[in-house]
Amino acid sequence: MADGISAPIEHRYSPYTDNGGTILAIAGEDFCVIAGDTRQSEGYSINTRYAPKVFKMSNNSVLANSGFHADGVTLAKQLDQRIQESTGEWYRHAHEKDMSTPAFAQLLATTLYGKRFFPYYTFSIVGGLDKEGKGCVYGYDPVGSFERYTCRAAGSAQNLIQPFLDSQVGITAVNRAEQLSLVSVIRIVKDAFTSATERDIYTGDFIEMFIITQEGVETQLHPLKRD
Amino acid sequence: MNRQDQLLDGFYRRDTYSPRVQDMYPRDQPSAFAGVDPVAHTQSPIVTGTSVIALKFQGGVMMAADTLASYGSLARFRDVERLHKLTDTAVLGSTGDVSDYQHVQHMMERLMIREDYHNDGHKLAPPHLFEYLRNVMYHRRSKNDPLWNRFVLAGHHNNTSFLGYVDLQGTTYQSDTIATGFGAHLAQPLLRKAVESRGGPQNVTEEDAIKIIEDCMRVLFYRDARSLNKFQRATIATDRLEITEPYSVDTEWAFAESIRGYGV
Amino acid sequence: MFLTRSEYDRGVNTFSPEGRLFQVEYAIEAIKLGSTAIGVTTKEGVVLVVEKRIPSPLMEPESIEKIQEIDRHLGCAMSGLTGDSRIIIEHARVSSQNHRFIYDEPIKVESVTQSVCDLALRFGDNDSEERIMSRPFGVALLIAGFDENGPQLYHADPSGTYIRYDAKAIGSGSEGAQTELQEHFRKASYSACTHNELTLAEGEMLALRVLKQVMEEKLNKTNVEMATVSEAFGFHIYPADQLQSVIDRL
Repeated sequence: MADGISAPIEHRYSPYTDNGGTILAIAGEDFCVIAGDTRQSEGYSINTRYAPKVFKMSNNSVLANSGFHADGVTLAKQLDQRIQESTGEWYRHAHEKDMSTPAFAQLLATTLYGKRFFPYYTFSIVGGLDKEGKGCVYGYDPVGSFERYTCRAAGSAQNLIQPFLDSQVGITAVNRAEQLSLVSVIRIVKDAFTSATERDIYTGDFIEMFIITQEGVETQLHPLKRD
Repeated sequence: MNRQDQLLDGFYRRDTYSPRVQDMYPRDQPSAFAGVDPVAHTQSPIVTGTSVIALKFQGGVMMAADTLASYGSLARFRDVERLHKLTDTAVLGSTGDVSDYQHVQHMMERLMIREDYHNDGHKLAPPHLFEYLRNVMYHRRSKNDPLWNRFVLAGHHNNTSFLGYVDLQGTTYQSDTIATGFGAHLAQPLLRKAVESRGGPQNVTEEDAIKIIEDCMRVLFYRDARSLNKFQRATIATDRLEITEPYSVDTEWAFAESIRGYGV
Repeated sequence: MFLTRSEYDRGVNTFSPEGRLFQVEYAIEAIKLGSTAIGVTTKEGVVLVVEKRIPSPLMEPESIEKIQEIDRHLGCAMSGLTGDSRIIIEHARVSSQNHRFIYDEPIKVESVTQSVCDLALRFGDNDSEERIMSRPFGVALLIAGFDENGPQLYHADPSGTYIRYDAKAIGSGSEGAQTELQEHFRKASYSACTHNELTLAEGEMLALRVLKQVMEEKLNKTNVEMATVSEAFGFHIYPADQLQSVIDRL
């Protein structure tokens, strides 16, 4: 700063903020459970106790976003259009079929990478069924790097939940998820969130859970501690 | 022309410089901030309004904001209305830059006129206005040229109450109670306690709501140095939208006599 | 049709009073001058055969390529101004790869055909953004492929129309060839043996036999080109020895 003159900065503007929140998904043999808490925070304030961050995108794909809420909403909105639209035409209309979850997973990756130099600040998880009808989960970083998982947690309580999932569900060759029933997976999801709520101030209020089976998508809402 | 200006003229100035930052120093004179990187992404609000608070009650929504527009710490304008009637069923309240707020007012006015031209009997309901506002705010933040506001949109349409928040970063949420700025820290806990202890907004009467709002405004006036004891209150209920003339609440300062040890 | 010829064939997008677009019709005529191409759908895949005209003995027959790969699961045979097909095939390949890139799945046969037909109508004499060509394509395509709906064959022409066929012939010998194909399928359906029961080998025979009948030259391994698109092998163009063995079975 020349001549002792300082630039007048009252507030440093950032186009991003962190709205906290946790999401997770577990792939079962013929089902998938994907869930998120519904708290939205900013700093030490709770904005609202119910701001959905898990979105049903089609009859077999569900998208969950944590991180910057506005980007998450915009991303879901944009993908919703792209699901129906491909290069100027509706995907459904152009290809006379619903988009599969693996196709949606790839679409999300290219969409995220499309904003590589002004990223959507979202940590996303996609849950659904693959072409064989098996449960599938995809996890992403904000610029679209992705991988298929058996189970995945993301968001403010990721480091609390992921080890728990790894121990209860397993990640590699000994794939315990295939033996897990829907009932036990739902129990694991609830346990993961109630535990995370105890330690993570950004997680709480409600779990919004989406259960994807061949029959479609079912939604459940469960209360969490509100403190 | 110095090197910095040449750089700017090369490609930056037209694209990423917001008009307002450009206007802040003349290009043909040596910059007062020579050697300081051009802070293209930083803007600051100039004339600002403080908290907006709002809550849902049985059959409607209520919102309040004082009439002060500050210039930094200076109480610059003391009769600026920060609650704006958008339609017969929606009111917009603004925290932050007043000129940006006025810009949004004009923009929403134009939107309303465009809608009226259709003359098809269709009215923009609060959720539609909210989505529009979200798109505007998110679009501006994505251009790195934000409208420096935190807006609260309250409405009551077809027997459904709407209360939503959108800010300069495009963040949105809906809730039974909303408070912006200082109010987020001081009033929000009071609002939540009042509504939740009654078991939800359906058990809050309009009289309750007025009492709650006024109590919150009093606390804010006591504690927020950028506030004024002169505020408006909007009520949006079935077949009724009213914004009060600015008024005050009673305050009690006698206790101040006994306080020692602060300031001089 | 030349009796009704008038000034209405000057602008490529000008309708005649009878409601015709002459330039498009002329383009379709151009295909009838091209060499014959035949496609046959079977239960295992689609067979494509094309006649290669070799007017000079000095020509290298292998340098004529009238069957091209679009993707692993898509191929196409052409007739007419084959130079125009370069643009079309480039477009089809890009569409197909783009679909793989965005959705990590092979594009459907109908979708790639649709995208080719979208391109076919982007001609005109104004300067609009959509316009990229000054005249309609002078080439017709037989697009063969395999997807979740099984083997399929589409015919796409310069008017941007596409129709799915069990078997289709285009080019100079198309009239005779189409009659032959129809005759075969008529008989087949009488014997309760639809095209779905046709094996790939039978498809090869049918396509080649019909082509042989409409060709002026004697058919041999240098003046025909043959390919199949099947689930098992994807797009496969027949090398000389394989082609010879098919001809030997005729």
